[in-house]
Order: sequence, then structure tokens, then C-alpha cells
Amino acid sequence: MSSSTSSSDAKAQRRIFARIFLTVSLGMGIALALVQGLVMALGAGSSSLLGRVIEARDAIPQIVDEPQELVMMFGSSMTGAGFSPREFDLAVAERGGSVKSFNFGFGGLNPLFQDYLARRIREDFEASDRRLKLVMIEFNPFQTTVSRRNLQRPLEESYVALLASPAELADFTLDDPESGLRMSLIRYLRDGISAEMITTFLWGEPFRAPRSDDGVDFERDEAAEERLREVLRVLGEKFSEEYPDFDGSDWYYPWQGGGTVKTERSAETLELFEEYYDLITSDYRMAVDRLDRVESADIEELHFDAELVAAFVRVVENFKAISDNVEIIMLPKNTDWIKNPPEALARQAEAIRQIEAETALPVRDFQVIEPVSNDMFSDTTHLNRYQGAVAFTEFLVERYAELLTQPAPN
Amino acid sequence: MLFNTPIFFVFFVVFLLIYGLLLVQKRPRLYFILVASFVFYGAWNYKFIPLLVGSSIIDYYLALAIAAASDQRRKKLLVTASVAVNLGILGLFKYADFVLESVADFLLVFGMEASVPTLSWVLPVGISFYTFQSLSYTIDVYRGDMEPRRGLVHFTTALAFFPQLVAGPILRARQILPQFHTLPVPTWTGARHGMLLVTSGLIKKTIADLLAIPAAVLFEADGPVSLIEAWTGTLAFAGQIYGDFAGYTDMAIGIALMIGFKIPPNFNLPYFAVSPVDFWRRWHISLSTWLRDYLYISLGGKHQRVRNVMITMLLGGLWHGAAWTFVAWGFFHGLIIVATHYFGSLRTFSGFANSTSRSVALLKWALTFYLVLIGWVLFRAHSIDDAWNIFLNLHTFAALPEQGAVAGRVFIATVVAVLWMHLQDWFVIRKGEAFENRKWLFWPVLIFFQGLCLMTGEPSSEFIYFQF
Repeated sequence: MSSSTSSSDAKAQRRIFARIFLTVSLGMGIALALVQGLVMALGAGSSSLLGRVIEARDAIPQIVDEPQELVMMFGSSMTGAGFSPREFDLAVAERGGSVKSFNFGFGGLNPLFQDYLARRIREDFEASDRRLKLVMIEFNPFQTTVSRRNLQRPLEESYVALLASPAELADFTLDDPESGLRMSLIRYLRDGISAEMITTFLWGEPFRAPRSDDGVDFERDEAAEERLREVLRVLGEKFSEEYPDFDGSDWYYPWQGGGTVKTERSAETLELFEEYYDLITSDYRMAVDRLDRVESADIEELHFDAELVAAFVRVVENFKAISDNVEIIMLPKNTDWIKNPPEALARQAEAIRQIEAETALPVRDFQVIEPVSNDMFSDTTHLNRYQGAVAFTEFLVERYAELLTQPAPN
Repeated sequence: MLFNTPIFFVFFVVFLLIYGLLLVQKRPRLYFILVASFVFYGAWNYKFIPLLVGSSIIDYYLALAIAAASDQRRKKLLVTASVAVNLGILGLFKYADFVLESVADFLLVFGMEASVPTLSWVLPVGISFYTFQSLSYTIDVYRGDMEPRRGLVHFTTALAFFPQLVAGPILRARQILPQFHTLPVPTWTGARHGMLLVTSGLIKKTIADLLAIPAAVLFEADGPVSLIEAWTGTLAFAGQIYGDFAGYTDMAIGIALMIGFKIPPNFNLPYFAVSPVDFWRRWHISLSTWLRDYLYISLGGKHQRVRNVMITMLLGGLWHGAAWTFVAWGFFHGLIIVATHYFGSLRTFSGFANSTSRSVALLKWALTFYLVLIGWVLFRAHSIDDAWNIFLNLHTFAALPEQGAVAGRVFIATVVAVLWMHLQDWFVIRKGEAFENRKWLFWPVLIFFQGLCLMTGEPSSEFIYFQF
């Protein structure tokens, strides 16, 4: 075999090859930029995807600098809606304690993602040598089901890519280069938006069956819906008037990750809220919401996903490392609308047994508690702000006041 | 390491960089292709690299021995050894469990319950492709169609050449081996065409992944499906398997071209075929010509055509996978090819068969496409029973699904997707060169479609032909 090529030939060949190499690399770079452009034009990105989570995570350095004892409630959107940190702190103060509590409730996460978030929280607390006085971790059965997991699969890689640390991403890449590289791309070049997400939520939209109300026995009241839209519009205006300084954050530090409080609102606004709660909890709306929860999260039958239950245990373990007191709690359930058959309750009991055995902590069942009634919900799962959240927060204060007012051991 | 993944992109960019540096040094370039191909293959399972190397060593030396053998009997013995070794390896890894389970099932028919042990071995990726490729070399040397080539490294590199290693096309030694001796350097025109093919393949593979969803609605259904869902699912699978395989092959040919190697096309607008025979001239051309040249002709070709076609197609079906559904698919295609020959030979039908009228061509196309679709049902179904139920579903009016409008949209999108892939291929074949010369249009279009593919994904994306 001849290995000699004339120098001019060699030069020409190298030039061609350089052109091929540059075209391939640049072409892919421009294509990726195109994707990023579209994603930005659509207003998508890590902040729209996990805005509240990212803002909460970014607030941790500030949280660990707070002088008071720290309390955290960690969980799903039910925690987000059902726990009022500022009212909690005030009630504890009235009992002689001094704490600063934070609402770390996030919609759209499941324990798999919560695990990564808990690791980041743990790292920051450990790095600053700070501990929580109390963490209340919500165990949400329907967030731990197979259906819920399946629903979130298109988001899985993106969420993990955004919540994992660079070291964890490197580990993924070593373990499975293909998946690790994809996740690194999602995180560093695609701002959290994977191809699967674009396909599912953009291209896939015309092919998705609209939310169905088949199987709902109640009639939609168009006049009530019209009134609801009007009430919402007015409430929006009232919010702007009453909170002129609000910066639009998903996780607002001055509110400690919680929502507004009753004492800050005008009588007129609160009256409107009464009407609003009535309108959003019409039988029709509740029945449709229930159906949606049944389909998307298996809320009644509760077929648990073993990996999600294991991830929940890891969440607890992370908090055990940085908290003096760890409580696993189950939030109030709207028993008018969510009825679990005995088999589902047996499955739930089994999951709880597993969690208790593996964490060596009891799971406190606050699903049915006296201070919270079924008319304090804003839908089939979430407590409303000025009735449900207030009552449940007060319940938690009663429950943990003694613990929180004890002087710190020397 | 699929061609449409970021990791392959990284692999290929690194490959190009090093390959470019070695451009004027032939031997290091050859070794580098071999090492890169092993890295590519090893990304799936490095444990099977020795199997690939073993196959190449055996066939390389057997080919030399065949050429050196003085008497025909010895030549025959050596080529038989090559066939036995290659098919033996393939049989052991791919068909052993199928045979054992089938024996157990057969005994059960007679009330004899046999506990048959199974091997449950992992199927080495691409084994069906490279064993056939390797086999073609010894057979060609035996037949005197080509002289054996000196250079074990050349032969092994040709067999392991990463663009075509795991999913073909099944190259003949005489097509590819000489290229590893000359080691061509890429031309800009060739590379540019390669980039067009890679993009075209990427689009088809992306469409295939999307079509997997409506296909699964039919083939993974627990209960009855509506008529529209049945047709959508069947059509979607036809599109999926075409986009998947033809897309991947396009990418393989394009990647090879970008580094200077020429691989012949494997598809030629198969769903535009106007007869089953025509379909097999357009579908997986490298396999159908392999089966024709090395099996059908060896069996006697047109003498005893019915028998030979049926055997060839049955084995062709079995090549696709170790399951009775694949055998049935091969049998079905054998049957329709035989029927085509039979009706074509009848005077009553000769007018129809030889007609050049457009309406007759349309009718022949529709009939062929219908038969191909029915064949895909056999191919994709989990069992013969399932295939039969789907066949009934396709021909029984069932109520519209709950979400009729969505089902209608999915059907239309599926039709458009299948048609798009063929029109795209037609464009690349007929207008590709002219398109490549319009730089102002060519590059933006290529980048636009690459961007579009980067925005489209499905978590369960997998390449169907790897199982073969």
C-alpha cells in the first residue's frame, strides 16, 4: 500500500476535510441555536418550567442566614396552598417562640425530583453549618403513583438535569454516557427544555384529547362560569392595588414562599373571595377536577410506584441530616370527593409501613382532622387560602408549638 | 450509540478530527477506522467484539483456502464450513431459544409437557447483518465472482465499518472490500450529498419515532379499537418501520460518504411499488438481492419457482426475528409473490399485468400497498392470534372512538407523514444534486430541518432493526 500522497494533494484533501469538519460542527451549533431561539420565543425555559423550585433553591443562602430558628414545610402543591408560613410564625411568636418558617411546596414535582431538590437543600445547609429546627415533609399518596410517574415521564430528564448537581450529572454520564450527555445538553445548552417536552407540549397539542367531562353527572353552569371570570378579573385588580410591591416571583421571599394573608386584604376583597370559593367549588367543577385527578394521578385507586416511594424515603433521609426534628405528615383530604376503596387504603397502608420502616419515623395522618372541613378546599385536593390554609396552619402550630417554643439545648 | 443521538455526534466529530489528521497516512487511517468501529460497537456491548473479530478471521482464512484449493470438492467443503460457522453463530444467538420453545409447544400439542431449557442469551447487535456480509465473501470467492483479498485488517475493518455495522445495508465484499484497500478520501461534493442524506435520514427517523405512538395504540391495545384507529395504527407502523430503517440507512450511507466511502442505496420508494415483486425490488434491497443471489439462485431459481420463492421468503421472514409472526410474514410475502407470478402468467390477467395506463397503475399500487400493510400487521403483532384480531379490526366497522376529532387528526397526520417521507426521498433521488448546488437554499434548509429534529423527540425512541 502506498502511503505517499503529493503535498499539494494532501493540502487539498486537508482543506476539504477541514470544510467537512467545520460544516458538521457549525451546522449542529446553528441548529441548536435555532432550537434555543424558538424555545425563547415561546417563553419556555428552566424558569417557566421550574420557576418556583429554582427561586426557592436560590433563596437557601438567604434562608440559612436568618437569625431565628428555621422551620420548613416541604411537599407538593398541596403544601404550597395549605401552609401559610407568616401566619405560622406569628402564631408561634404568640406562644413565645421565635421561628422563621418557609413553604417549600411545589406543584408538578414527584418524589424523584424532590429527592434532587432535597439534596441541594441539604448541601447548602451543611455548607453553612446550619440546621432546621423542624421540617414537615408531606407524604402525598397520589404524587407517588404509577400514573403520576407516567404523566411526568416527558419531563423526567429535564427536571433531573436541572436539579442534579454537576457532579451528579458527571456520574450519570459515566454510568450511561448517552443519557448523561443528553441531560448535560438539556441543562447547559437547552435551558431545561428537552425535545420530548417540545414534542409533548407543542407538536403534540392538536393530537391530545381535550379534557373530557364524560362521566360527570353535573351540568356546566355557563352563567356561573361567566361570573367566575369576572370575579377573577376583579380579584386580579385588587391584588395589584393591595400588593403594589409584589415582584411577580413564583417563590416570593418576603412571603417566605407562602401566599397572601387574610389580614392584609380589604373587607371587599375577602367578600369577593367568599364568592370566588363558592364558584370554583361548584359540583360540576369539582366533578371534572376529580376525574382529572383520577386519570392523571390515580388518586382513588392508588397504585404506588416503588421507585417513587423509595425516592420519598431518600427525601426524608436528606432532611434527617440537617434537621433536629423531622415530621412526615399527610395533608387534609377532601373526603366529599376523593373516596378510596379498601384495596387502595390497603396499598396506602403498605406504602406507609415501608416508609416508616425505612426512615424509622412515623407518618402522621392529618387527612381527616377536625379543624379542616371539606368546604375549605378550592378543588378536590388543595386547601383554599383564607379558610383551609389558615385552619391547617393553626392546626400545625397547635401540634408543634411546644417543640418550637422549647429553648435550644446547650 | 444511535446516529440520531448527541453521543454519536460527539463520537463522529472526534472521529472526523482524528481522521482528518491521518488523511494522508493510509495505514494509520485504516487502523483508526477499525478502532473507532470497535468503540462504536463496544458502546452497546464490548463483549461481542471478539465474536465479530472471530467471524472475520474465520471467513478471511476460509476464503484464502477456498481460492487456494485445487479441487472442487475441497472448495465445497470449505465454503460449507463457512456457511455452517456463520449460520451456526447466528442460529445459536438468535434462534436457539425459538427452536427450543417451539419444540416444547409442539410436544404440548400431543399432550407431552416438556421442560425445555432456554439459553436466554443477549442477541449481539447487528449480527444478522455482519454474518450475511461475511458469508457473501466466502461464497463469492467460492463461485469465482471475486478474488480473495490479502489483508486481514482490511477485511475486519470492512466488516466492522461503523456506519453500516449494526443495521446494514448488507454490503457485498466486492462492493466494500476494495474501498478499504484504496482508502478513498472524501470529496466535497460527496460529503455534501452525505450531509443531505444524513439530514434526510434524521427527518425520517424522527417521523418514525412519532409514528410509533399511533402504532402502539393499535398493536399494544388491551381492548377493541375502532376502525379508524386500526387503519391509523397499521399505516403508522408501515411509516414507522420505513422511516426507522430507511432513515437509519440513509444516515449510514451519508456518514460513509462524508469520509469518502460509497455504500449503495437500500431503499427505492418501496410504498410506490405496483406489485409485491416490485416491492421487494425497492425494500431492503441489500437483503432481497442477497437472498436472491445466495439462496434463491442456489436453490435453482426459476426452476421450481414456487418452492424456491416460498423457501426464500420464509427464511427471509425468519431473518427478521425469531418468532412465528416473522415466519408468517415471510410466508405471506412468498404467497403474494407466487400469486403475482401466477396471475401474471394467465392470459386473462396479462392485459392488466402489462398495462401502462395510469388508472391500472393506481389500482396495482393500491392493491400492493394494501397487501404490504396486511403484511406489516403480521410483522408487528405479538402473535398470530393478535394479527388475526387486528386483521378483523381492519375489516369490521366499529364505532368511532370517543375522541373522534382527535382520531381523525391523527389519521390525517399519519397519512401525511408516510407520504412526506416518500416525497422527501423522491426529492433527494431526483432533485438532490440540483438542490445541493443552490447553496443559498441548501444550507438553510438543512439546518432548519436539523433544528426541527432536535425539537422533536420521544422518550421511548428505539431502533426496530437492531433486533435483527
